[in-house]
Amino acid sequence: MLGKKASLSRTLPLLAVMLFAFSLFVPNFVSDSFAKEAFAERAFAEEAFAKEVLAEEEAAEGAAEEECEISQDVFYKDWEGNPLKGCVSGNPAPELGETDYNTYSFAPSRMILWISNQQHLYFGSFVLAVPIFCMVIEFIGIRTRKEDPVMAQKYDKLAHDLMKISLTAYSWTAILGGVLLFTFITLFPGFFKYMATIFRPVMHVYALMFLAESGVLYVYYYGWDKMSADPFLKWVHVSLSALLNLIGTVLMYLANSWATFMQAPGGIDEQGRFLGNIWHVIHSTLWNPVGVHRILGNIVFGGGIVGAYAAYHYLNARNEEEKAHYDWVCYVAMFIAIFGLIPLPFAGYWLMKEVYAFRQQMGITLMGGIMAWLFIIQAVMIGLLFFGANSYLHNGMSRVKGSERYMKYCKYMVLTLILMFTMWMTPHTIVMTPAELKVMGGAQHPIVGHFGVMSAKNTAVNIMITTTVLCFLLYQRSNKKITVPWATIGNCWIAAIFVGAAANIAFLGVYGYFLPANQRVGLSVPQVTSTLTTLFAGTAINISMFKDSESYGDIEWGTQSKVGTYAIFMLAISFTWLMGLMGYIRSAVRLFWHVTEVVRDNSVDAYTLTIGEAGKILTFNTLFVWVQIVIVFWVGSLTGKKAVVEKAPEGVPVPAQQQQ
Amino acid sequence: MLPEQHDILWTFITIAFTVFSLYAFINVLGHCRENENVNTKLWGGVFAAFFITNFFLTKHMFTLVQRDQMMFIPWQLATILTLLFTWGVFFKSTEIESQSPPITRAMFFWMTVSVCLAGYTNWLPQQRSDPPPKGGAAISEDLTMEEYTEMGRIIVFGAKQVAGQKSIGKGQCPLCHTFDPGDNIGRCPNLFGVQERSETRIKEDRYKTSPVAIGEKEPASGIIKGKPMEIDEAYRRGGSDELIGEDYLRESLMCPTCYVVEGYGKDGDTKSPMPVISKPPISLSPVELNAVIAWLQSKDTPGEFSNVTVPLPSAASQAEAAPAGGGEEEERPVFVTGDEDIQTMINTLGCPLCHTIPGVEGAMGTLGPVLHEKTNAPNRIKDSRYEGKATNTKEYVRESILSPSAYVVMNEEAGELFPDGLMPQTFSTMLSVKALDKLVDFISQTEAPAEG
Repeated sequence: MLGKKASLSRTLPLLAVMLFAFSLFVPNFVSDSFAKEAFAERAFAEEAFAKEVLAEEEAAEGAAEEECEISQDVFYKDWEGNPLKGCVSGNPAPELGETDYNTYSFAPSRMILWISNQQHLYFGSFVLAVPIFCMVIEFIGIRTRKEDPVMAQKYDKLAHDLMKISLTAYSWTAILGGVLLFTFITLFPGFFKYMATIFRPVMHVYALMFLAESGVLYVYYYGWDKMSADPFLKWVHVSLSALLNLIGTVLMYLANSWATFMQAPGGIDEQGRFLGNIWHVIHSTLWNPVGVHRILGNIVFGGGIVGAYAAYHYLNARNEEEKAHYDWVCYVAMFIAIFGLIPLPFAGYWLMKEVYAFRQQMGITLMGGIMAWLFIIQAVMIGLLFFGANSYLHNGMSRVKGSERYMKYCKYMVLTLILMFTMWMTPHTIVMTPAELKVMGGAQHPIVGHFGVMSAKNTAVNIMITTTVLCFLLYQRSNKKITVPWATIGNCWIAAIFVGAAANIAFLGVYGYFLPANQRVGLSVPQVTSTLTTLFAGTAINISMFKDSESYGDIEWGTQSKVGTYAIFMLAISFTWLMGLMGYIRSAVRLFWHVTEVVRDNSVDAYTLTIGEAGKILTFNTLFVWVQIVIVFWVGSLTGKKAVVEKAPEGVPVPAQQQQ
Repeated sequence: MLPEQHDILWTFITIAFTVFSLYAFINVLGHCRENENVNTKLWGGVFAAFFITNFFLTKHMFTLVQRDQMMFIPWQLATILTLLFTWGVFFKSTEIESQSPPITRAMFFWMTVSVCLAGYTNWLPQQRSDPPPKGGAAISEDLTMEEYTEMGRIIVFGAKQVAGQKSIGKGQCPLCHTFDPGDNIGRCPNLFGVQERSETRIKEDRYKTSPVAIGEKEPASGIIKGKPMEIDEAYRRGGSDELIGEDYLRESLMCPTCYVVEGYGKDGDTKSPMPVISKPPISLSPVELNAVIAWLQSKDTPGEFSNVTVPLPSAASQAEAAPAGGGEEEERPVFVTGDEDIQTMINTLGCPLCHTIPGVEGAMGTLGPVLHEKTNAPNRIKDSRYEGKATNTKEYVRESILSPSAYVVMNEEAGELFPDGLMPQTFSTMLSVKALDKLVDFISQTEAPAEG
């Protein structure tokens, strides 16, 4: 095993603790956000109240009408729940006509914009995610430097290699951003003019932040070697990565504000007139949940790309050392992706909650209206993710000595996944010919139809997650011979937690059928709690049992099967496609509005696509971005090839097999 | 993509196939150079032929539009599969999996999975949603109350219905509301019996005080509760200022938070989740909003309109109220006058959705029988199951249009009758006498195209 036998057991607990800490952080962050929102709303209300009083006073003096016109905000409310009033500071949103749209003959403008936007978002997501990985990996490297210098150097090298790729991708992202901007300006000039008028200062701040991001990125990357020698400078270096992430996050949040404003506007009145407070425009109701959702999504997508990169190099490796290295990178990337994936649904729930709060009708259009089938597709994609993750873990276990004790359970876990996946993707109603309807006796099948409701689906997905957690725990203990005196009790606890969780999830699922819809929704909380209990409590007990454990042997890095490697590819494809799908859903729910209820889309492309049409564009986007990613990796590898020719310096990490 | 444009995915794939065949050609040449025993001319020629073939197939793909591209791409796929097979023969299965770099295999895996996902999305039911027309429905001539309530029904449920799928019109009401007794999806109240409730609710104490009292202004909508004469003039009814059931319905649509049914609101039933129907995104015009009220008042008593208190709109009154320039693409209840050409008439009535009709372009529907009435009608009249009154083809066609259930045709392929009740029973309200005659004349002459 790379970095001697203790490294994995040291790393995993650390990452698990970080995961746990992160899980604590997310609710805090969420509650902080709520608190901040409450505070902000109060401040807005006070400000509004003051403005109203001022306006009334001025009106009494006969001066108000001359200075400003007061109008009502479309979203923000004051203390009493009345629409917040503000001073009109802009022109009404334009009624767009034919001359406000330009077209090419080869493709609809909307498709061109969609593709430009999605490609930019994919790359933006990657270049925002990589610095997060690098920060964490470099930090782990620093922390392990004294105990395990070889492993520390390995971590450092990995972070450096990732940054090298990110640097090329960064330029590419900027180019794609330019393409997107020009597409917007040239094809949707009328709408862009309105957006630019509203967001004028934000756009300038965005440009300046981009400059700052570039500066810090170059110092961070090109200063890597110089700042590695001195421990203090190394800490400064890792601090730079924190700064880089901070600026990157601000950049993303600023850009998010344009999208969230379009979906759920605030800070303007019904006519689209700016009411003078730019913070209201930025901080519309979906801004926070979309931001958190995107950070997590970036981590998952970034993990997918790095995993696929490593998997490709693993297949292409020319010697055992390379194979071992890239097999290990696959594992790290996979871990990072799953690390981001687990809290992602909760951020999604938060986002949907805010969507419903903004307009219930919008939420229902998503979950029960024309977009509902897209969520069935999402379910299929999530099923693919679980199959990919479990397949990787099952195949990964086979290269660990001692895993034969647990391999026999894999087939049962796969069977459970298949059953749950089938339930998970069973639709509630399906479109049929009248003859088919007649035969079935309605749009719902008398037996299978019961699996189409939310009770069954919540149960299915929670059992799938629980199975994956169990698989991960078995993977963790594959090569461990537990020696703690309380091993039996610990095992019983783990078994009790999993059996209890499964029983609770199943019971609540069945119970849900006997409750009305509005009460049934509440059952998802205890179901998710059961699942999280298996994750956190199960992992914690499992890791605690590793104390003083004996090893059956180390993980044989570099012996991963091809099926396991292709499972990584499958994960990367699924992440990419799923990201495009969810982005499409979020954007398309505006239906025929550029800015919901304010600026109507009067172009010829204002219709909502059929699922098939959207699916083809999503597939194209997935394939196209990966062609570009391959090119970026190839460009990034050009300097690496040169480095191979040079003589390896002293102290280079020794591959695991040679150490043993 | 528009029908006359290229399909972006097929275009991408066709290019990828040609690039791959070029790669295979170069790969084979490389192996030929390394191995002197291999017949370079033969294998080089074979793979060059594959490349040239693919190049021309790709070139041809660029001359096609998307529908034709989809029909053509299997040919190129077959070429690529043949190429792969030949590649295998070339290597004679010797370490075949290491004869191409992982990037090639990975890309194949990538494309296969991604295209399967696109295929999956195309396998699912397809429904395109067009934006509702700007402005509101136009009334071109005076309507009957039956027609007006039908207009309201179309606003609620839409004109087109797909079997097994929830039908949602411009008003989007069925997203949350149900309309049949006992049906409840838990989002918003069931509207069965709403006409009766509207009369009694305005007398309830809770209505008078909660969540805003009568006479108070509801901030989000700007409506003063319980004051029908204070409503925006365009939406205001005529007559006395006494509060009646119609006012409650109108208020519910224009000011959902003026009264929230217990158990269906937010913040302790003080706020309704329902949007203001007269404002974006739904933006019903006064005529449309009244049509919905008329439908709500009459829906539980089919054919009986005595409960409807909403006045009928007239073309003249709407012309006065209509804003200038808003009527170019407006949605209206389906009605044909007979002045249209037959193709337009049939398309307007929606017949091609279900029927295959010779002589009507695009009429390829399969949900209903093929219309070969010149030959079929006489046989059907003679059928022992026939209980209608027609004695000749024209009478049979007329009867089928106005009373579709009079005789249900057998679906020979399925071995069962076509479903009864699928064909709208409302064509009598959609056709003028002239239009009906014209349609009957045309349908009576339809027959199977001559073979050969």
